[in-house]
Amino acid sequence: MDELRKSFHHDIEDVRTELVHMAAFVTEAIPRATAVLLNGDLEGADQIINGDDEIDARALELEDQCIQILALQAPVAGDLRQIVAALKMVAEVERSADLVCNICKAARLIYGHSLDPTLRGIITRMGEQAQQLYIAAIESFVENDAAKAAAIDDMDNYLDALQKQFVQAIFESHAAGRIDLQVAVQLAVVARFYERIGDHAVNIGERVRFVVTGWLPEHRGAARFRSRADDSTEMPRPPIPGNSD
Amino acid sequence: MSIATSTPTITATEPASDTHVVMVASNLEVHYGDQCAVRNVNLTIREHEITAFIGPSGCGKSTVLRCFNRMNDLISGARVSGLLTYHGIDLYGPEVNAAQVRRRIGMVFQKPNPFPKSIYDNVAFGPRLAGIKKRAELDAIVESSLRGAALWDEVKSRLQTSGLGLSGGQQQRLCIARAIAVEPEVVLMDEPCSALDPIATARIEDLMHEMKSRYTIVIVTHNMQQAARVSDRTAFFTSESAASSEQVKNDRRTGVLVEFGRTQRMFSNPSDERTEQYITGRFG
Repeated sequence: MDELRKSFHHDIEDVRTELVHMAAFVTEAIPRATAVLLNGDLEGADQIINGDDEIDARALELEDQCIQILALQAPVAGDLRQIVAALKMVAEVERSADLVCNICKAARLIYGHSLDPTLRGIITRMGEQAQQLYIAAIESFVENDAAKAAAIDDMDNYLDALQKQFVQAIFESHAAGRIDLQVAVQLAVVARFYERIGDHAVNIGERVRFVVTGWLPEHRGAARFRSRADDSTEMPRPPIPGNSD
Repeated sequence: MSIATSTPTITATEPASDTHVVMVASNLEVHYGDQCAVRNVNLTIREHEITAFIGPSGCGKSTVLRCFNRMNDLISGARVSGLLTYHGIDLYGPEVNAAQVRRRIGMVFQKPNPFPKSIYDNVAFGPRLAGIKKRAELDAIVESSLRGAALWDEVKSRLQTSGLGLSGGQQQRLCIARAIAVEPEVVLMDEPCSALDPIATARIEDLMHEMKSRYTIVIVTHNMQQAARVSDRTAFFTSESAASSEQVKNDRRTGVLVEFGRTQRMFSNPSDERTEQYITGRFG
């Protein structure tokens, strides 16, 4: 039969396309920020930081587009999940772009300090892994691939492990007198930025799973919470020691 | 009140524990002459819930609704097979009186159809047929029915004027008042708002929410957003090519129930691809 509501479905496609473009912008900015950090490229840092205004503007516009679709088209089922997920995902992408900027701001703070090869090597790997996570998130979204989206969570474990490894390397470098305390603290914060970018990619993957299946991994935790709440109504909790009430 | 002329001998088909079940359709099938209008309908209507039937034109949703109070009996050539129970009693059983069925299971139609009588007489019509003659008793029924249909405040000062003088939305609420005046348990509504403007539609939808605490409602609607707004459960029907070559030759299609479930799930994450395609407007 003929497809109906073509213009509405075209609007949803527009939202998806713009979301992919914004996420691609972040994906490309991650290695650029890593290069800024490793090379002390202040000009490159300025470019990325200034570019964030564009991402903020596009995020607002995309959010507005989603709200208009909700208000005017009353989407349901798969269409509804697309729009609700897009509203959530755009926030993840926008925040990831902020974190990329933060890496560049940290690069400015430690400008002029040299980093030893171990630290440089782990920074490179963290940047590459964060980018891989983002690439997987975009691909799973474009292909509506719930299995690929679910794999992002496991990919993120590697980034988490790199972060821990990096913090250990910072301690060692500082103890050996190769970096001072301020640089050590900044580097620890940078590691956190990469790790958070990975978390946002994981969140995008979760939203992709929601779009495809209507299910979110948080449902598991919510079920555990409800089950605990049910248990606690059946059995009174033991009194807290020292609490006279 | 029993719907049977004699004491029904049929035992309940629903488990005794599920006291919230009002009606059950099992493999319900309706033929008009040699054509199968709708087949394989299996669903349960639960008390104090609003169940919505949605689907494209010709999918059999109104046909199924009409089975629920035996309105199809009035259409020559209509034949109902399968099982349709009301509190466990086969509605099409030989001992069941169709008129009694329609007292327990009332109906409101697409086009408001008040009798060419006064507002009062429209509402009192059913109770009078049931033998109520005392004025005070009729007054009380008319008032409570008009209140139940959220119309009392608008018409209490002109009860003796013609029902046809009311606006379309008021006429439809008058028809609802007329339907509930005989104290049915179930109210069937066949596209009750399709002839009404948005304000009158919103009034009827609000009214349905209020009526839910006293009645069980089944509504056929072409407006999917209305189904989403008002109903607890939604049944999606569609039509598919008939199996017999004779029917295919005549381009006849048969209605089928595709999916039945909680409205919230049906409109956020339907199980069947055909439901998804229809409610998102990808086919029509």
